[in-house]
Amino acid sequence: MTPGLFLKFAVTSFRKEITYRFDYLIMILNGFLYVFIFTSLWRSVFTSAGGTFGGFTKEGIISYTIVAMVVRISFSMDDGVIPGKVRDGSVALDLIRPVSFQMMNLAQNAGYSAFHITARGIPILIVSGLLFGLHVSAGSLPASVVSLALSYLILFLLNYSVSLLSFWFIDVFPFILLKYGLINLLSGGLLPMDFFPASIRGWLDYLPFQHIFYSPAVIITGRVAPEHAWGILASQAGWVVALWIVSALMWRAGSNRLVIQGG
Amino acid sequence: MVEFEVNSPVIEAVGLKKEFSVSEQGKGFAGAVKALFSTKKRIVRAVDGVGFSIQPGEFVGYAGENGAGKSTTIKILTGILVPSAGTATVRGVVPYRDRKANAANIGVVFGQRTQLWWDLPTSDSFEMLRAIYRIKRGDYADMMKKLSDVLDLGPLMSVPVRKLSLGQRMKCDIAASLIHRPKVLFLDEPTIGLDVVAKENIRQFLGEINRTEGTTIILTTHDMNDIERLCARLIILDKGRVIYDGLTEGLRQRFGHEKVLEVEFDGRSPAKTALPNLEIVAENGSKISFKYLEDGRSGGLAAIIGKLAADFPVKDILVREPSVEVIIRSIYEKTVSLPPYDGQK
Repeated sequence: MTPGLFLKFAVTSFRKEITYRFDYLIMILNGFLYVFIFTSLWRSVFTSAGGTFGGFTKEGIISYTIVAMVVRISFSMDDGVIPGKVRDGSVALDLIRPVSFQMMNLAQNAGYSAFHITARGIPILIVSGLLFGLHVSAGSLPASVVSLALSYLILFLLNYSVSLLSFWFIDVFPFILLKYGLINLLSGGLLPMDFFPASIRGWLDYLPFQHIFYSPAVIITGRVAPEHAWGILASQAGWVVALWIVSALMWRAGSNRLVIQGG
Repeated sequence: MVEFEVNSPVIEAVGLKKEFSVSEQGKGFAGAVKALFSTKKRIVRAVDGVGFSIQPGEFVGYAGENGAGKSTTIKILTGILVPSAGTATVRGVVPYRDRKANAANIGVVFGQRTQLWWDLPTSDSFEMLRAIYRIKRGDYADMMKKLSDVLDLGPLMSVPVRKLSLGQRMKCDIAASLIHRPKVLFLDEPTIGLDVVAKENIRQFLGEINRTEGTTIILTTHDMNDIERLCARLIILDKGRVIYDGLTEGLRQRFGHEKVLEVEFDGRSPAKTALPNLEIVAENGSKISFKYLEDGRSGGLAAIIGKLAADFPVKDILVREPSVEVIIRSIYEKTVSLPPYDGQK
């Protein structure tokens, strides 16, 4: 897919979001409320307990929480699109185009997320930073950008692979719920990995989830120094490659058994 | 890339089969619970050994009852479905193996779904297609102008697709399938749900595209008038198999000895059994339609009409050749039988 066409797909889905999202003020409030609740929680815990926990100071955990939650809000993706198209058969109309299904979905996702970054992520980041105090590492900017891009791809590929299960199962909602549970618990979006017992953390290193929100958040907030960030970026890139291969294999197997519902 | 040879068939299908497995679930709550533990699977063969070969520039009607396998064949040829067995090529490309290359060569219209972007103004959908098919600006402007002139798309361009009427949407969908000047066009029920005027406009346009652009067109439809008006060649499918592949006119000539006689009586009309060679097919007040079967003994149609006029007060008589629709209906109802189809035209 050419960059021009990618952009066109992305812009189209961005515009579609604008058309339908007149409730975005409520969505900003909802996102902000999450940041407010969790930063307040950590503030009172760290104030009453004193000192540090899991290597975090009070200021450190608040910055981490703001960054991880803003990334989580910004990287909104619509899980229902592909299962919906398979369910009503309109996936056929995507397949009559001379474009890669995966790249088209990535482009449409990027447009969708671009809306959530501008309409929700950035305003929430600015307001939360001013109200609760945000410290980021200026020297980590290049590594941060790369890490965010890789974490976006990991999240997309996970969502895309789960969506492709709709080629096998008519109802993929249970799988989507399971994926949500795993991401909420294990990605660092709510809870940094440092708070898990060492025995569990060892196992979590074999899973991609921590590279979704934890890895970019520790690089952006400077918990990991820029010169040590490259190891994290390398394993993020490794997961992108692995998940890309998984989704390509799933696509190949799934398209063989695709059924177009409704004739 | 393989250059496509001009003289070889543009579409070739050999022994295509497509099987779907359908899981069956019993009735009600008990059935749902049972389905959790054991799934009874049934294999449905939607397409069962379909083969044909289509030359460039042909306009082929692809007919059959619901579930005969028409749409499934079209979906194999457009690269959406992978056949369970058999092979197919479209302009030398195997559609289900090289979907994207095939997609660039073909245009597709599914009458029951729109390929336009539901939320965008119609013009944006066409701009999107220009980007997808990488059409040069000059070529795009030329084709767009041609399509707009013939289909009168101008006033529709600024309207969001979701606000178009069915007829307007179909015009836009057909234009969308042709914007990249495909050499092969697949039309799956393009006139479904349209009124008579809209149908007629679309038929005229399709005929013209076939003549002027040399586009090979495969048309599936339930409306036999579409086929009679447009398709020189007709392929009929029944239960996933080809049962007729030949000239549309040939079908009529073969079964043309069955004529329809429409008679308007002035008052008294004959009882059902009055005439041995006439069978009442429709009755509408004083107007009665008969099916006339030539059996070579009763002195031909003229004698029958003479007898009818002598015995009953006849006001008006009209003799019609049976429409393709009537012929096909009688094939399905097994009132006429085709000789076994041997794969030859």
